[in-house]
Amino acid sequence: MARNSAIPPESFEEILAWLDPDREVAATMYVQLRHDLAKIFKWRGCSDAEELTDEVFDRVAKKVHQVRPTYEGDPRYYFRAVANNLVKENLKKVKTRVSLDDAELAEPIATKDEEDHRLDMQECLKSCLPKLSRENRKLIVAYYAKEKRAKIDNRTELAQQLGIPVETLRVKVHRIRLSLQQCIERCLELKANRK
Amino acid sequence: MKEEPITDALLREFLLGKLADDECERLETLFLTDFQTKERVAVVEQDLIEDYLENGLTKEDRKRFLLRYAQTDEEQRKLRITESIRDWAAMEARTPQPAAASVSDWDRLRARLRLNPIFVVPIAAIVLIATVLAIVWLNTQIEQRKHLAIEQELAQLNSPMSLRESPSQMISFDLRPVTARSVEPTPGLSSRAEIRLVELHLPWIRREHYSIYQAEVRRIGNNESFTIRNLPADSGDQNVIRIRLPKHILIRGQYQIYLSGITNNGSLSSPEEYSFVVSN
Repeated sequence: MARNSAIPPESFEEILAWLDPDREVAATMYVQLRHDLAKIFKWRGCSDAEELTDEVFDRVAKKVHQVRPTYEGDPRYYFRAVANNLVKENLKKVKTRVSLDDAELAEPIATKDEEDHRLDMQECLKSCLPKLSRENRKLIVAYYAKEKRAKIDNRTELAQQLGIPVETLRVKVHRIRLSLQQCIERCLELKANRK
Repeated sequence: MKEEPITDALLREFLLGKLADDECERLETLFLTDFQTKERVAVVEQDLIEDYLENGLTKEDRKRFLLRYAQTDEEQRKLRITESIRDWAAMEARTPQPAAASVSDWDRLRARLRLNPIFVVPIAAIVLIATVLAIVWLNTQIEQRKHLAIEQELAQLNSPMSLRESPSQMISFDLRPVTARSVEPTPGLSSRAEIRLVELHLPWIRREHYSIYQAEVRRIGNNESFTIRNLPADSGDQNVIRIRLPKHILIRGQYQIYLSGITNNGSLSSPEEYSFVVSN
């Protein structure tokens, strides 16, 4: 579980000013950086990515007054270095990595609660779909029309029809899917709060 | 040590935790600081999720995937959201479109034509003209969509936030205004295969300076031009405006750039012209 990070307000302001002179841009960068660092911890197999992300910001907050005046370059490299140290510390603490063969990994199982969630999700999906433009809706349907081996040919054909490289198509669909996912997440949160 | 180019296969190994620590550190740093790498990682991650949902991962990769993407409630919820979007789209694709009504209309029309063959030639001519017009219209739409997508990409690449980043696979060139270059030859650039972005440094030699600028990029011999709005002056050197162009829009030929300052009332100053040649 994520613990509460208590960064003193003046250090928080200095971190923001370090990220970018424009406070709005800095706030966006701050949120993005937290999200990205949590992902990195997760990729490195750290079990509590959120807690470690808090720890990165706590450590930077303690040093920011000293480091910032002389630091040159993108401050995100500094955060990255602090995160890297934490990954190493975390590995030492854990001492042994569990072999993949021994790891007991939970597959998502459908319980009764999960079935309720699934129904909520379908309702949310239905309410979010009309927010997509007709063109984007058609594109996402065409993109996911085929599975497994057939999908590669299908997507190559689709990209040709649109006159764009497959890479661009994948990014385009990723952006549409992301907006749909964010809408569904907001809707699910609202539903959960109402219960 | 020579760095491995960033491919989808490499990113996939990275996401499954199969790379050595130093390679992970390189990719993680790029992920943090380079928007395009971040987006590529997200796309490859999405492919991985699709493969998992289609049971297309090997036993080992499936374990690695579950370890990273299906442990917390939030991760499992994200997987289910992707699954529901995919399932809905696949179902929509399988649902036959309401074509029955138009088929029967067509049958009725054919039946009428059989009775009145005199209409066949004029109707065929109308259908032919309509088809040609539809093709022309469709091509225009595709071109417009492509143009819009490129302008969106340019806006993204040249936003103040993106310009602060130093992406990998980018080369930079200094250009001089045509008026200041006198008899020098037009500078040329031949971009290598691994390059994704070209950054051009445009010195602003006028006395008046502006807080934002607008650049119009066009290839000589082509009517199409791309406009990049709200370009800031370089934070280090206020006399230089930087623009970034993705390599895939640059084809062999000579390019012109018209750079104008945007005044406080929103009008454009007279433009400064720059040119360069692409010879890849």
